[in-house]
Amino acid sequence: MDRELIKLEDIKMYFQSRVGLFKTIPIKAVDGVSVSIVKGEALGIVGESGCGKTTLARISLRLLKPTSGRIFFEGKDITDVDEKELKWFRRRAQAVFQDPYSSINPFMTVREILEEPLILHKVGDRTERLELISKALADVKLTPIEEFLGKYPHMLSGGQRQRVGIARALILKPDYIAADEPVSMIDASSRAEILYLLKELQEKYGIAFLYITHDIATAKHFSNRIAVMYLGKIVEIGGSRELVNDTLHPYSHALIEAVPEPDPSNRLRERRVLVGEPPSPANPPRGCRFHPRCPYRFEPCDKDEPELKEVKKGHSVACYLY
Amino acid sequence: MAMNLRESLKEFWRLNVSKVGLIFLSMLILASIYVVASYPLDFGVRYWNNPSYWADYPKSAPPAWVNLISSEKAPEHYVLTYTKPSNITLTGTERKLSYIFEIDFQADRPPSFISFTILDITYHERPSTVKLSVLRPDMKNIEVYSFIVSGPYLGEEPPYRRYYDQPKRISITGDMLTATALSRFLYREYNVTLRPSEVNSIGQHKILFSIPVRDREFKVLKGQYIFTIDVYTYNPNDEVGEVTLVIGGEVYGVMGTDSLGRDLFIGLLFGFPVALFIGIVTSTITTLLGAGLGIVGGYLGGRVDEVIQRIADFINNIPLLPFLIFLAFILGQNIWILVFLLVVFGWPTLTIIVRSMVLQLKSGQFIEAAISIGAPRWWIMFKHIFPQVAPFIFAQLIFFTPTFILLEAALSFLGLGDPTLPTWGQILEYGFRSGGIYVGLWWWIIPPGILIIWTAITFVLIALGMEPVVNPRLRKIK
Amino acid sequence: MGLARTLIFRATTLALVLILVVFFMVIILGATGTSDKILQAMVNEEVMMLRQALAKTIKDPEELNRVLAIRKQELMEFYGLTKPWYIRLPDMAWRVITLDLGKARTLKTFAGGNKVSEIIMERLPNTIILVTSATAISALVGLIVGVRIATRVGGLLDRISSYFSAVSYAIPTWWIGIILILVFSFFLRLFPFGGLYSTPPPTDPFLRFLDMLWHAVLPVTTLVIALVGVWIYTTRTIVLNTAQEDFVNAARAKGFPEELIRRRYIIRVAAPPIITNVILGLATSISGAILTETVFSWPGIGRLFYDAVLVMDEVVVIALTYIFTLVYVVARFILEVLYVILDPRVRY
Repeated sequence: MDRELIKLEDIKMYFQSRVGLFKTIPIKAVDGVSVSIVKGEALGIVGESGCGKTTLARISLRLLKPTSGRIFFEGKDITDVDEKELKWFRRRAQAVFQDPYSSINPFMTVREILEEPLILHKVGDRTERLELISKALADVKLTPIEEFLGKYPHMLSGGQRQRVGIARALILKPDYIAADEPVSMIDASSRAEILYLLKELQEKYGIAFLYITHDIATAKHFSNRIAVMYLGKIVEIGGSRELVNDTLHPYSHALIEAVPEPDPSNRLRERRVLVGEPPSPANPPRGCRFHPRCPYRFEPCDKDEPELKEVKKGHSVACYLY
Repeated sequence: MAMNLRESLKEFWRLNVSKVGLIFLSMLILASIYVVASYPLDFGVRYWNNPSYWADYPKSAPPAWVNLISSEKAPEHYVLTYTKPSNITLTGTERKLSYIFEIDFQADRPPSFISFTILDITYHERPSTVKLSVLRPDMKNIEVYSFIVSGPYLGEEPPYRRYYDQPKRISITGDMLTATALSRFLYREYNVTLRPSEVNSIGQHKILFSIPVRDREFKVLKGQYIFTIDVYTYNPNDEVGEVTLVIGGEVYGVMGTDSLGRDLFIGLLFGFPVALFIGIVTSTITTLLGAGLGIVGGYLGGRVDEVIQRIADFINNIPLLPFLIFLAFILGQNIWILVFLLVVFGWPTLTIIVRSMVLQLKSGQFIEAAISIGAPRWWIMFKHIFPQVAPFIFAQLIFFTPTFILLEAALSFLGLGDPTLPTWGQILEYGFRSGGIYVGLWWWIIPPGILIIWTAITFVLIALGMEPVVNPRLRKIK
Repeated sequence: MGLARTLIFRATTLALVLILVVFFMVIILGATGTSDKILQAMVNEEVMMLRQALAKTIKDPEELNRVLAIRKQELMEFYGLTKPWYIRLPDMAWRVITLDLGKARTLKTFAGGNKVSEIIMERLPNTIILVTSATAISALVGLIVGVRIATRVGGLLDRISSYFSAVSYAIPTWWIGIILILVFSFFLRLFPFGGLYSTPPPTDPFLRFLDMLWHAVLPVTTLVIALVGVWIYTTRTIVLNTAQEDFVNAARAKGFPEELIRRRYIIRVAAPPIITNVILGLATSISGAILTETVFSWPGIGRLFYDAVLVMDEVVVIALTYIFTLVYVVARFILEVLYVILDPRVRY
């Protein structure tokens, strides 16, 4: 399938953690995930903290090498390639990070931050680079450009910093961007703006996106497809509108229920809330990982893990209910 | 909290300590520039460690200004040089060149020695004769000394040139001919009987400048003394270069002399650039090495880091001074070996600190961001990590400088310094070893220490001034 | 328990350091040819003296040379010169590490013997006296002044102490010693110039003790001047930091008397770092004593080390370096142990 830009095949990521004198136990951050993104497509990954979504994003960018499984970019296997040989990949795959306060170097000006990728990949000369930088700043609506070029990060607000981070991701004209909770550390008032900006840029440039979030509502607005992760595995994946309107997995359902709706007629309705907290990825429950908290659990749920099955067209779920 | 260079300088300038530190530093630098411009490079070997150069200086003499504050006036040091004779007397073929030195002697004690030097004599036929005579304030004249310049060697052709690369120095003090002349003088003029050997043990210089009071007691004779050095030449082309008369004093110069007669002012001045050199060079190398290893080890991690850590730990567990002494002694007393040793023992502390700073930085997201845009490791270390630790490193450089200056002084004091490069520590070493403290030669002992302290404090002050730049919490809130 | 494991690991590492250090010295002595040079010089000198002595009795030059050659061979075997340095010296090194110290080459004990262990043991107490009294006094003064100015930040005493601490960092200890001699021994004639006892030392034990005390005043003062600045500053910083911690404010808010707060909350918590400083200070001042003992001709192991290096008496040099390193390493180890035990926050 050569329309697939990124393909992650059965990715497992186990971290070793030391307990006691000699023992280490594996923390199964990602435990068998296969997913692919098509050119120009935005895939959202939704889940609670600790479900492995951030790890997955890092793996998709080869910032981590998976314990097992393969990563394909445009058909090429980049799982074990040496960092030195990955420069071509780094040019076409970029990242937007969660923390605008620590993801840009406080000692560099905006101009230097944006120029760095260009210099590293030997793009153009000084004047050409300045043009590209100005264009990038215009794209993220940090204008007037001259004003921002010489500023240091500590002179900018959180929202502005994140825009710089986005501009940096865009400046090499990548085919793929992984955005890890890009607005969760931004003030609520600026969030929507940044998300709109991101979506606009994604559509304008046709960039494939991996959008990581814990907020299923924004995922719906932003992505074409959504994948719900729980404790290192994908439990449901499908087109965004479909998944939200016709939710299959109980966990996805709970996530949607947890989104407050500003509808006054709802104020007396009791919302179903999940009990308990997700268990530690060091010690996942037997069988379906969600079963201890699942209100619908029944017989087969605590025996073996359910497979991800396509139940409707383009809509798969891993649950014994189906 | 990041600051660019301009803001950093402003913050630094705010404190008083910084201003004082910088003033001191500029004084040190000025002194050093002066020395480097005016002293020869081999000053240590050619002059300082060459006792014959200081032969005409008083030994263990306090500074001249001591006379201003003491009740008894110590004799000053006179060095009088003529290149042309005061007058020339012609008697047939004999040409007598007379060099006349007038001294108004008002001290309460006699001089410490007397000597004269002839530089560069050329004769064509007969070797010249040199005579020294003295006319004392009591109007008595003594012919003190005479000698004939050495004759031609086998196969030598005229003109015969003598004493031009090695001037001829005659010390009246300790000379038996003079002693005999004085013994006769005392008997003739004062009816005092003293054998020449006794004259010699009392001191020719003493007797020449005094009047006998009792049998072996002498009182200083104040007044005008005229020393005449006559050079008898026998050819109109005969030439004399320079004639120098030295009446040794008991005080000398701005800072006095040591037991070898070396002018301490000159020696102490020379110490300025050496101290700055040692301090700054050693400090810079150590800082660069220590910080570099800290960044490399901290960022790269793994085996590289392990190795660096182990070595740093090993060195840190070695007691510094005993090893420095041991190694300096075995490997030789050379300034570069010293710098090398100091660097070897100095880098681990910095590496450990820098490494932990780097470890903290490593987990920052901007490092990940740099990787994701394709930056190779060395780029990240150089452009992202280094600038963040740079202020700290620079402050450390300043802070290390006095440490090394003090260490070098300590090693020199123990006799392990580089003899071709006199330092304040070495001056102190000689003072201690020759027993200077036990006889109270304070002008020898106190100034070098004060200079060491002053230099060290300069850097401490500057380092203190840099603290707010490095440690943001200490900055005053505007 | 992870704690014990780490400490044992650390102890073995440090022991390794110790052994490596000794062998490192040995390699330097051997590879630079120093050892061979010195031993050879000693052999030659003995042969020369023997030649002069025997020349009077043996008239035949051939006979003389033969006898001397035999003697020279004997001497070379005695000094181990017949074996190359990389066999001879490591052998000595091992013996030193196991504290089988043997005989010194040139140095002697006060009585004239040459057993290294005796030489060292004679002088070790002198160094200990000097170092412990100086550290004790500095610590005492440092603690008192440090605590006082920490509770009265910005006062006159505080500012004076701060300047003093900063300055004392820049002052060479040994120079202070020299100045003290100049002022108090030469100009004021209050104290002796150096040494342990007067010559001849008083016979009465109590008077002897007083004599030693009198001789110790200047050297101890020198060391104290050097150390006290650091003590005051460290104490002040630690107490200040602790006093600002929230749990102290909480105690105050509960209405505890200030004295109690001072004692139980501040001092007891500040104690661990202060104690660790004691130990580190002691350890470093033992090697720092080298300079002071040299200035005051105080017969301790510092002075001994210097003398040994000067004549390159190998055995003594290696043995003393071993001891210095041992003390230093042990002190740092105790430090690490204490730190983990006393400060629960560091435990993992």
